[in-house]
Amino acid sequence: MGRVILEARDIWYRYPRGMEAIRGISFHIWRGEKVAVVGPNGAGKSTLLLMFNGMVKPDRGIILFDNEPIRYDRAALRELRRKVGFVMQNPDRQIISPTVFQDVAFGPVNLGYSGEEVRKAVERALAQVGLQGFERRPPHQLSGGEKKRVAIAGVLAMDPDVLILDEPTTGLDPSGSEDIMELLDELHHQGKTVIISTHDIELAYPWADRAILLTRGRILQEDVPDIAFGDPELVRMARLSMPTLLELYIELKKRGFSLPERKPKTVLDMLNVIDRAFRNRLCYTQPGRITVLDVDAPCKVSLSEWRARHPGVSLGAMGTRAKQRAAEEKITPEFTYGVIDKCILKALLGEDSMIVTTGSMAGRVRERVQEFSREFNLDIEVVMARETLE
Amino acid sequence: MYEEILEDIAHNSALRETNTAVKLATGAGAILLCLLSPGFFAPLFVAVTLVLALVLLARVDIHTLLHVYTAPALFALFSIAVIVLVSGGGECFWRWQPLPWFALSLSRDGINQGVLVLARFAGGTTAIAFIALTTPMTDLFAVMKRARVPDEVTDLAMIIYRTIFVIMAHVVQVYRAQIMRLGYSTFRESVRSFATLCGAVFIASWEAGEDLVRAMEARCYDGKFAVLGRDRPPAPLSVAAVALFFLTTGALAVTTADITLI
Repeated sequence: MGRVILEARDIWYRYPRGMEAIRGISFHIWRGEKVAVVGPNGAGKSTLLLMFNGMVKPDRGIILFDNEPIRYDRAALRELRRKVGFVMQNPDRQIISPTVFQDVAFGPVNLGYSGEEVRKAVERALAQVGLQGFERRPPHQLSGGEKKRVAIAGVLAMDPDVLILDEPTTGLDPSGSEDIMELLDELHHQGKTVIISTHDIELAYPWADRAILLTRGRILQEDVPDIAFGDPELVRMARLSMPTLLELYIELKKRGFSLPERKPKTVLDMLNVIDRAFRNRLCYTQPGRITVLDVDAPCKVSLSEWRARHPGVSLGAMGTRAKQRAAEEKITPEFTYGVIDKCILKALLGEDSMIVTTGSMAGRVRERVQEFSREFNLDIEVVMARETLE
Repeated sequence: MYEEILEDIAHNSALRETNTAVKLATGAGAILLCLLSPGFFAPLFVAVTLVLALVLLARVDIHTLLHVYTAPALFALFSIAVIVLVSGGGECFWRWQPLPWFALSLSRDGINQGVLVLARFAGGTTAIAFIALTTPMTDLFAVMKRARVPDEVTDLAMIIYRTIFVIMAHVVQVYRAQIMRLGYSTFRESVRSFATLCGAVFIASWEAGEDLVRAMEARCYDGKFAVLGRDRPPAPLSVAAVALFFLTTGALAVTTADITLI
């Protein structure tokens, strides 16, 4: 983790003619971190996040960006808002232009980019969120998930260092929510610092590097998610509920089972916990193989051809370009979220699987599988798709 | 929403990618020729040609097209009936005088006048439908910009266009919520519900306006609004087809100027 990119020092804020929204909050965000600000409705999450790009000015206290106190003059705010992008909860309120292209181009045009630079910025941002070909579509024809992606692209077009999203999954179906969280993971992997506000604790728990529990304008707890969400009393005070996997882990521990210290964040982690507690083995068969197809590789492997040669192999698509590639070849992936873990689960059952992903993420797949194999003394093989065709 | 359907048809039209200026010129030129033509043949020719263009080239569903005509046709038929029955001149076929100062009649000039108006209605409406069903509003903004319409007007038009759909969605939500709770069951209740609906929509619009300012500020608004400038250059074939259409209509207008139905 790098240096501190955003910091709040004893922030206070009262709504005009209203109650106190923020009451003495101090915390910091590291560059490259994924942070979830979690709390019930009315906890002050949105107000706090709006302070980070200067949309709301605190009554007392200071906000620092890159170790410099935020200035509220026009020029300084423009620069801040370019670097700290804010995606509103309701995309209909954020999308202001009549077409997707115009909306995504709004920021770059106002930053004074040339026509060619604007076009490139829009193309890049739309590719990042997987909406190429949507340029001329009017927003009212888009689904909730697509609108959310347009809103994110509108901010990404300004190439910000920090991406703040207020309740990014509100109003989306489970699949749409998973897609957005996957996209945020991808953007984080590209080097963005990502901050979200949410009251969906199940979503925040496995995703965040750090969670900030907020209630009535105050921070209740600020720590890694398993600690922040692991105290039943604090979770109750924040009017939230404990993540199911964490609650199950705590209940098993209370009953005297010998469990690994690392608390489970995913089904794979939980399976490990259960196997340790009851059988002390994780895999009872020869582990399956995970094949990785790199969509950026110069030697293009046909997905449909590979599937025809390997029938019955489960397929996971990781990242926007991978999903597009699957769609191009008219293949519906079985997994689009938590793909590596789901493929490891398949391998533990002795089944083979394939992960379609981009070049940079292919390395991450290998690392994660090797790390898991080392930890549990298993031998899960990871091969590149082209090797299996030779 | 009907407006949304029209926009959707325009977005999916097979002529969507045709140069916007060519489509606008076709529609506007057709309307002008319909108005200038003294005979009914030329406007009728415009109507038939553009209906064929809409159905065969733009691939607009014929039922949708008929649906588009329904409302203006009802209005036009009523107006034409009045013109035919009230205007006189020439040979009189039928006459009825219910009041001393008011008479209805069917005369040669009245019928010919009615036929001309009907033909102009058919041609003009089809020309408008041709523009509406092949050219989305979003393409018109780009044309407005190129035509040097002041930025303030174009930007405002774009914001209004975008906001219409947002507010319309809100109106539908509130209206449905009222219907579900029997908000329009009696006249008295309807008046009250409608007033509440207006109030709720006003407040929502106000909030949407405040959010709009915030959304623009958050993305470094500096007085500029992006415009989608990409438009295909006019294809020689389409320009030639439009020129041929205008020439034929013009020629028809001149040669059939004196021809009347009866």
